Amino acid sequence: MLLEKKLIEKILDTALETGADFSEVFIENRNASVLQSVSGRLEKSNNSKSFGVGVRIAKSTQSVYAYTNSKNPDDLIKLASDLSKSFNDENKIERTPLMELEVGKKHQVKIKPSDVALKDKVKLLKQSYIAASSFDEVIKQVMVYLIDDEQIVLIANSEGRFVTETRVRVRLMTSAIASDNGMMQTGSSGDGSGKGYEFFDEMDIDGHGEEAARIAKTMLYADDCPSGVMPVIINNAFGGVIFHEACGHSLEATSVAKNASVFSGKKGTKIAADIVNAIDDGTIENAWGSANYDDEGYPQRRRVLIKDGILNSYMIDKINARRMNEEPTGSSRRQNYKFSPTSRMSNTYIDNGDSTLDEMIKDTEYGLFAKKLGGGSVNPGNGDFNFSVMEGYMIRDGKIAEPVKGAALVGNGGDILHKIDMIANNLERQRGMCGSASGSIPADVGQPSVRVQAITVGGKKKGAK
Amino acid sequence: MNIDKLFSRASEKGISDIQVYLSDKTNLSIEIFEGDIDKYEISDTSSLIIRGIYNNKMGTFVTEVLEDEIIDEVVDTIIASAKEIDSLDDAIIYEGDKEYKKLDDIFNEELANLDVKKKIQTLKDMDKFLHEYDERMSVVETMYSENTNKVVLKNSKGLDLENIANSAYMGGSVIVKDDNDQRVGFDVLISNDFNDFDIKKIAKEIADNALAALGAKPVPSDDYEIVFSNGALATLFSAFQNVFSADAVQKNMSLLKGKLNEKIGSDLVTIVDDPFMKKSARSRSFDDEGVATAYKELIQDGVLKTYLHNLVTAKKDDVASTGNGFGGSVAAVNLKMESGKSKLDDMVQSMDEGIFITDVQGAHAGANAVSGDFSLQANGYYIKNGKKERPVALITVAGNFIDMLKDITLVGNDGKLSYYGVTTPSVKIKSMPVSGS
Repeated sequence: MLLEKKLIEKILDTALETGADFSEVFIENRNASVLQSVSGRLEKSNNSKSFGVGVRIAKSTQSVYAYTNSKNPDDLIKLASDLSKSFNDENKIERTPLMELEVGKKHQVKIKPSDVALKDKVKLLKQSYIAASSFDEVIKQVMVYLIDDEQIVLIANSEGRFVTETRVRVRLMTSAIASDNGMMQTGSSGDGSGKGYEFFDEMDIDGHGEEAARIAKTMLYADDCPSGVMPVIINNAFGGVIFHEACGHSLEATSVAKNASVFSGKKGTKIAADIVNAIDDGTIENAWGSANYDDEGYPQRRRVLIKDGILNSYMIDKINARRMNEEPTGSSRRQNYKFSPTSRMSNTYIDNGDSTLDEMIKDTEYGLFAKKLGGGSVNPGNGDFNFSVMEGYMIRDGKIAEPVKGAALVGNGGDILHKIDMIANNLERQRGMCGSASGSIPADVGQPSVRVQAITVGGKKKGAK
Repeated sequence: MNIDKLFSRASEKGISDIQVYLSDKTNLSIEIFEGDIDKYEISDTSSLIIRGIYNNKMGTFVTEVLEDEIIDEVVDTIIASAKEIDSLDDAIIYEGDKEYKKLDDIFNEELANLDVKKKIQTLKDMDKFLHEYDERMSVVETMYSENTNKVVLKNSKGLDLENIANSAYMGGSVIVKDDNDQRVGFDVLISNDFNDFDIKKIAKEIADNALAALGAKPVPSDDYEIVFSNGALATLFSAFQNVFSADAVQKNMSLLKGKLNEKIGSDLVTIVDDPFMKKSARSRSFDDEGVATAYKELIQDGVLKTYLHNLVTAKKDDVASTGNGFGGSVAAVNLKMESGKSKLDDMVQSMDEGIFITDVQGAHAGANAVSGDFSLQANGYYIKNGKKERPVALITVAGNFIDMLKDITLVGNDGKLSYYGVTTPSVKIKSMPVSGS
């Protein structure tokens, strides 16, 4: 156990002494390792060990949070006591006795990071390096990162919830730099999982290494992307970052509950084209963004966000649920104990449609094929979003034409969902790190290839055909 | 953790040199939403970064568990790491410099001791001011965050250094609405002197900027003259900080490779790293490797003068470390583009047809620090004959960071320390491609 149960109870009780109606303890023990190789040589092997305790106290919709990495019982009780001074009410609430919930059987891990010898980890880095660096002579630099993370959490609250869970994640990423004639371009590719090191037996390590190199080389000789408004086919897998940024964040209670989202008050109304179905599913076995429980100790679940174009569900945490008069949806997440939890995405994707990618391209006279996307961001306040295209091609006369670099796509989340006019049947998910109010967390994005009728494409080359 | 015990255990097991870097952090964060406290966070954390040399290779261990019982695990892990590392880089633990500048204005005890009630009240006053400012004010959040960071560095070569700094920011974010549009505004002030927080001034700026943006629309795609506000330039600038890193240069990942003492920017461009900047919690008298920090010009009147070095990159280039060994790599302390003489209004008025960009977004993905290319979402105002014609949103502005440094034609007198930790004035750029309608 991370802390004695009696001490946890004492902290929960101390926190309620000034009339708060909810108290919660989050304890985290974590071991992580980051390996980095440059030009095939292991340059960094950083191991980290963290431990911390976060205490949250709430009354109605007001909540306060404190964290420390002390294990000392007196320190922890003083922390709860200091924090409780934010409230002052004579009516005290009785705490419900802690009832231990069963650890879910999903997301089992076969080979824990701590059971793998460093030597064997280094082999993975070398393998990917060789695949990338031998791809072409223009590849001048290759960096490979291997990250593993084992997080043990304990969540206990004044409503009797008591949960422990171990979460393991591993990820291997390669980035390549192609250089010729004073110009440089980058490409990256990789994969990760909520499995242990057994994941690397199934991952196509060579394929990802080559892919990083291929993108860098392609972009090195690509033209600058033209700017203007045009149809854009956003490819499957990481293309789903468009939904993540453009709409997903604006469906989180963090902004919805405060009326600070374009989708506030829109539940049950049409916010997307009829063909759009969007899902946030934290239960997918061993997926990158899955867990048995969320960081408030509620079971993770599958949420249908948009059904046939109609807004069906938000993602809601406990405190914002109070604000919205709704139930929490098991969506509360946080980077670590240094963050108070709030509503976040898990594995979010647009569901399959019935077109094919070929049909879409044939049907597009002129436009952009965004084959691989980089990241993006959104301002949930008005829904304006942007994201960058890592690998793009022009579409001319229904065919994929020359590669283009430096493209950005901008638009409005409220608007773009209505402009999706074709959805393919090739759904895939891809790993991402999502940054927001409660820190940086692993989250899958995903979609089949999707066509947006018109979107603003920003590149360095002056306009049009 | 008993450091002496760690050092002697390390030495027994064959670690030739070892260094610990202890960081103690406290934080207070408060947010007010609709007049009430929405977020109140306090924290107190410590962590230890331990670096040890074994067979001339460096192993690293970071821990928040500070009990003596993990000493053996730390030492064994460092040795195991060092055995696998086959990088050709030297592993260096530093014996220290003769002198370290004494920085006495980076920790303000008054700020730490100021009653939290006063901080809350100031935020509530700001909330009230914003709500009453205009009837189109729809959502208001005000925020305050205060950090104290103490670092202690000790190594087996006898170095023993300490630095303590504190800082705070106060600001707000708003959503304004009219019948047809919804816009957002956000800004913060950064200082370790509470008296610097002129909340009415900053609240008014946030509100005015958000309100002025109502009805914003894209402009037709074309090349335009551009003025970046100090805040917009900060976002862009911070995304390209790494081009100055000698580590990036040596790994063929910086466009500045081979450009030392060459003219890479307009005469108006001077960029410095000032580790002694007042009221910045980032200010330091020594870096993470124990090297004394120093004020230096990176670009002077457009000429590239130096890269940023840590001990390892410096040795490779046969120069001295510039005291920029941070986070296991190389980083600037307080990167600053020096202010010029132009007034922002004059710069805006000097455009026949252009865009005054007040904000850019998406730099984490849309700016490539290796190629220097960027294409970013932007908003601001369309300027015609020197006058603000209308607000603009959902456009992109694209370019290359190095080309842009050459194309700077005016530099503002309004340098400001941003949320990103870089200080930038507003600047005027000859021309850049803008994508819109």
